[in-house]
Amino acid sequence: MASAGRRALKQKLLFNIHDEDMKNKTTRLTGVALPGLLCLFMSLSALWASASSLQNQVTGRITDTNDHPIPGVSISLTNSNIGTQTDMDGEFSIYATPQDTLRISYIGFKSLLLPVGNQTSFRITLQQDITDLGEVTINAGYYNTTRMEQTGSIARVTAEEIERQPVTNPLAALQGRMAGVSIVQRSGVPGNAPSIQIRGQNSLRNSFGDSGNLPLYIIDGVPIDSAPLNSFSGLTDANTGGIDPLNTLNPANIESIEVLKDADATAIYGSRGANGVILINTKKGTGGKQKTRINTQVYTGAGTVPRKLDLIKTADYISLRQEAFANDGATPTESNAPDLLLWDTDRYTDWQETLFGGTAATTGVNLGVSGGSALTYYNLGVGYQHETSVFPGDFNYNKLTANLSLNHRSSDERFKLQLSTSFGSDRNQQFDGSGFVSSALTLAPNAPALYTDTGELNWENSSWSNPLATFCRESEARVQQLISNLSLSYAITPELEARLSAGYTLLTSEELVEQPIRFYDPALWANARSRSLHITAGRQSWIVEPQLNYRNTWGRFNLDALAGSTFQHRKNTALNIVGTGYANDQLLGNLAAAEQLSATDNTTQEYAYAAAFGRIGINYARKYYLNLTGRRDGSSRFGPSRRFASFGAVGGAWILSEEYWLQSLKTFLFFAKLRGSYGSAGSDQIGDYGYLDTYSATPGGGGLYPTQLTNPIYSWERNRKLELALELGFLNDKLRFNTSWYRNRSSNQLVGYNLPAITGFTSVQANLDATVENTGWEFEAATHLHSGRFNWQASLNVSIPQNRLVSFPGLEESSYATMYRVGEPLNIQRLYRFTGVNPETGLYTIEDVNEDGVYNFDDRMVAKDLTRRLFGGFRNQFTYGRLSLDFLWEFVVQDGQQFFTTTPPGRLGAILQEDYDRRWQNSGDEAGVQKPSQGIAALIANSRFRSSDGIYTNTSFFRLRTLGLSYELPAEMLGINSCVVFLQGQNLLTLTAYRGLDPQSPGTTLPALRMLTAGLKLNF
Amino acid sequence: MKHFRNNHLHLLCIAVFFLTCACEPFVEVDVPNDRITSVTVFSDDATAREAMDGVYIQLFNTAFAAGGNQSVSFLGGLSGETYTVTNAAPEMEAVAGHQLEATNSLNLALWSGAYNTIYMCNAILEGVADNSNLSRDTRAALEGESRFIRAFTYFYLNNLYGDVPLITQTDYTGNALKTRSPQTEVYDLILEDLNRAAELLDTGYPDNERTRANRFTALGLLARVHLYLENWEQAESYSSEVLAATDLYELPDDLNTVFLANSPEALWQVSQEGWGGTFTHTRDGNLLIRITPTGSPVSLSETFMQDWESGDLRQENWIGSFSSAAETYYYPYKYKIRYDASAGALTEYSMIMRLAEQYLIRAEARTRQGKPEAAVADLNAIRERAGLEALVYTPALTQEQLLEELMQQRDRELFSEWGHRWLDLKRTGQALEVLDGIQETDLLYPIPEDELLKNPNLTQNAGY
Repeated sequence: MASAGRRALKQKLLFNIHDEDMKNKTTRLTGVALPGLLCLFMSLSALWASASSLQNQVTGRITDTNDHPIPGVSISLTNSNIGTQTDMDGEFSIYATPQDTLRISYIGFKSLLLPVGNQTSFRITLQQDITDLGEVTINAGYYNTTRMEQTGSIARVTAEEIERQPVTNPLAALQGRMAGVSIVQRSGVPGNAPSIQIRGQNSLRNSFGDSGNLPLYIIDGVPIDSAPLNSFSGLTDANTGGIDPLNTLNPANIESIEVLKDADATAIYGSRGANGVILINTKKGTGGKQKTRINTQVYTGAGTVPRKLDLIKTADYISLRQEAFANDGATPTESNAPDLLLWDTDRYTDWQETLFGGTAATTGVNLGVSGGSALTYYNLGVGYQHETSVFPGDFNYNKLTANLSLNHRSSDERFKLQLSTSFGSDRNQQFDGSGFVSSALTLAPNAPALYTDTGELNWENSSWSNPLATFCRESEARVQQLISNLSLSYAITPELEARLSAGYTLLTSEELVEQPIRFYDPALWANARSRSLHITAGRQSWIVEPQLNYRNTWGRFNLDALAGSTFQHRKNTALNIVGTGYANDQLLGNLAAAEQLSATDNTTQEYAYAAAFGRIGINYARKYYLNLTGRRDGSSRFGPSRRFASFGAVGGAWILSEEYWLQSLKTFLFFAKLRGSYGSAGSDQIGDYGYLDTYSATPGGGGLYPTQLTNPIYSWERNRKLELALELGFLNDKLRFNTSWYRNRSSNQLVGYNLPAITGFTSVQANLDATVENTGWEFEAATHLHSGRFNWQASLNVSIPQNRLVSFPGLEESSYATMYRVGEPLNIQRLYRFTGVNPETGLYTIEDVNEDGVYNFDDRMVAKDLTRRLFGGFRNQFTYGRLSLDFLWEFVVQDGQQFFTTTPPGRLGAILQEDYDRRWQNSGDEAGVQKPSQGIAALIANSRFRSSDGIYTNTSFFRLRTLGLSYELPAEMLGINSCVVFLQGQNLLTLTAYRGLDPQSPGTTLPALRMLTAGLKLNF
Repeated sequence: MKHFRNNHLHLLCIAVFFLTCACEPFVEVDVPNDRITSVTVFSDDATAREAMDGVYIQLFNTAFAAGGNQSVSFLGGLSGETYTVTNAAPEMEAVAGHQLEATNSLNLALWSGAYNTIYMCNAILEGVADNSNLSRDTRAALEGESRFIRAFTYFYLNNLYGDVPLITQTDYTGNALKTRSPQTEVYDLILEDLNRAAELLDTGYPDNERTRANRFTALGLLARVHLYLENWEQAESYSSEVLAATDLYELPDDLNTVFLANSPEALWQVSQEGWGGTFTHTRDGNLLIRITPTGSPVSLSETFMQDWESGDLRQENWIGSFSSAAETYYYPYKYKIRYDASAGALTEYSMIMRLAEQYLIRAEARTRQGKPEAAVADLNAIRERAGLEALVYTPALTQEQLLEELMQQRDRELFSEWGHRWLDLKRTGQALEVLDGIQETDLLYPIPEDELLKNPNLTQNAGY
């Protein structure tokens, strides 16, 4: 037998790749019910097993192209469920008949079919398969993994989906692209922070400046403070949420963004992983003996507000107002009816067109150079972005970025160095316009002209507030951010590597708001003083993370272990100064010229964080994976006795498709993995120093006042995450399905525990003795087909989240008794039940549930859940030859407040035409909108209506988020590598029943703009 | 496998161990530069006194006392129909129309500000109690002032809301679930605090700044509390004590000087230092003085503008007017500065308690005790300063007539200050008769709904 084996060896049969050429047949099978087929195949293979005939022993050795043996390769017979695997030396033996065919498959390598024939010994070389299954590296933070090997839940978006979008914030480019990741752009003003939630709202604290739901942002290994920066200008109000610190990144310089979701992926981030982790990797050089490459990208385009409301016109408006006074039996006076008495009652202005009907121009330029030698290579990028606004006036956003990455390794490959630095500087010139869009929606249509004949702001004898006055209150915000990371590693032995990663970030932000006297009505000038507001903020942090990595293989057993620690320190400083009384507007903003200065805020806050973490990843035969991660960390945000806590997770994966008994299905079921994880992560996202019993200085006069209520014993919030997932790849991975189910239970929540004001404050930092559960399903499907020059890629992601309060001991006796109910979502609004417009009185009515004659909280019995019920995205990419079309639909199913202007019908200010048409007019009318009136009864009815379920509606939407069309020119003729022209559209189309400006961010903030850009990309 | 265990694993464990040990001291951080721990605050006289200064300064930034649109002065003025709402301001209109709802945010702000002030007082009382780091004088002064301000705050809570939770310490765990205490118990605390304050406090004003409470301020409030409790005799004696302090207090002849900073009429004022140096105007002046048609949300009501005796200098000096093309609006003009962002000195302070009220208290207490002649003398002090003829006492003057004249003078003298008219109408039982569209249940403001939601032990006033 042995001699036969040797003889066979001499033949040195080398088999090359035989792609199981099933493509054309299989594409037609996409719609078939898969589980059914699976069962069928299983039962058939069992039948085949019982029908084996005369068999010989066949042996062989399997190696990769470098002649290294591959252990764990599956060898099976195509017509039975008999199978085996290679041993540590890559050798196998199996009984087979000459009629049998061997199926040899191993993940990451191309599969092979070998007819046995008379041969009894084989020498087989497997070729690596360049699919993204085993090849594309997924960044899991402290270590890398692949789609095949990953045991946790990690979503990934790469450069091609991000780089052409004309967005200021890279996260805005991710909307609709990742399952379980909900991103809401809250305003169309450039630079505003989008809100991002990974797998639902974990924390009850969700406000600007105090959000417990921000994920951890890590840029090239360096954590960035994800809290938005404060601003005095229109960039900040309750609905928008500040300047995003990620603005200074260049979206075109991002290689990939990974989002870590489950316990397995996030537990290594311990206390900071509860809300998920966003890893942003910038572009690096590719290494190897490459020649110097230059790539450039230029785009320019324009954006407008995609939707305007059908507001009442002057004729109807005047009659509405007159009707209101008639209904009330009242006479208009100058102060309650300047529109009727003082203003031209024939005048009409389309305020939406006038105030936000402009066109925002946008331009972006990116230049990249990469090159180097095999051992040292670099990537340099420079980017510039300019965006103007849809508002009248000269307001704009400018951004300049530069980044450099440098990689080096020693010739023996033992020492490696990676340096990446990115610097971004932006200048945002806006105005204090938080109420600007709202003015456009509520100004009376006959409100006066903006300018007088002489070109001055028109105040119409002080009878109105000219909305353009805010333009005089210009703001200029500059943010500069440096993020740098140096990573050094040295392979002590081939198995053991030591690594030191160090990072430094520096952010400075300066905002100057100038408020000249012109800002005021001339009637007030005598008393007014010009003012300038100066906000400066600094964030400085460093991080050092020494790590040891041990990797070894014993036969089929592979180990990858990591141990490390983190030391991080951050210092945030803030200084706000108000300068008052400038002799001349020319000097406005120069503090030396101000008559008086006052510092309204001057703080320095420190945050220190230290941790030790480890990971043990083992796998057997690259089939059974186990991943253990843990972290013990301490944060200065907790009282001395409560600083440290441990977090950990276990994740496992089983690659079913590598089992020999599934080999017969290989042509159909290419890849199947079952994975799961359980573990905990925490959150320390609370203000610094909450445990200190302190006094602060009063704004003036040198007094002290108590800052907060104190609770020295609050401790870590804990989020226990459970996930089960099934990943399937069909038909040579042409069709993929991933399904995951998760359950995150957040307990011991850190909240500003609600307290009645009688305690002196309205909250105290504390742990809430409640358990909040976020469960959900995530589905992802992707397919990739090509035929000749035609290529189609499609991907769909759907998330169905659900939020529930699981338990809350003592809820009835707590300050949350009326706010929450066990078993219901956290984000519920308790509302009155709307019972329509009373045909007799013409007023809105609500139900007096307990019939006690008063309307109070006891009558608010309707609970409305405002969380997204379902969301996702559907992306398609068609390529035909050089032409490519790429589009993404984003869809969201949710309930929200229907849009009503803030003006109750009949009061001074515009309403929707639709509401005018369905108003109550005469006794007996069955109307949708109450009677026009200025009276208190109508006012109260209106305010109760606004606290009722009557204003809630389905605000779901379906939006064509991006549309890209590109054509690759035959560039070879020009002597360049490639030349692509592209057209890119953002938010081109939205389908919704919501009648306000933007269902994504209901209310009166500037909606996300509809943009169209054209660009050119050249590679030399 | 064995090889691995013996060497590398040990190395890993040792490394992790050392790295973990280094963590503990690393996560210590200093107290931030804008704060000071409360232990430090009460460790010496100077900082402890700064904490007391803080209570006074924050009064200016605390809704209930500040004089802005959430203050007792303003909401009381709306409820007492001193003001008419002229701009579209739903929540103000609701107060003025006696249609206040429990969700009203102005009401919530007033309530919350009052309890925040009480918290600060309690914190100081706890900080100074048996604190050997502080001098005896400091302890006495701080205890007296804190008790006084606490009593002052409860006085308004009691009169606006009826029964209220009685908070006397800072521990939130106990306070969060407090029930409402009967008004009598609240009055007991007020009296206890005021009596103690009157014992502890000095008679002068430090640095001649009338922004701190002294013994007479405490006595003046005691006089008012006893008047409300109809303890006429005590009301008379306490107000007499204040009125006797002629070296400190007098009624200036010029009405335009009454509301100036440290005016000799002031028992207690709040300074605008709380603006942080940005402005010098009072919140009252900023809110009420109208220089454009929509420049103030309210104007003085028609009823208030009627029946002025001719020659009343208060009408001339304390009421301003603004005329647009078609209308004339009247506004309180006790404070003359509407807006001033100059760096200049503070010339006006927001008045909290003043001498004129003490005359009126004594006049009323004397009337009730059957001393009409003495009452008329007090009344005349007010009338004469206002440029009106002195009343001549005759036995024919009935108590009823005298009381009517007294209420009239209180209204004309104290309008736009601290809700006097609203509280006077309520305590004398005239509110339902005098005011428009008011019901019995509107006499008490609602406990803010927010509070009911957060504290299940609180009950709501009838009618809300």
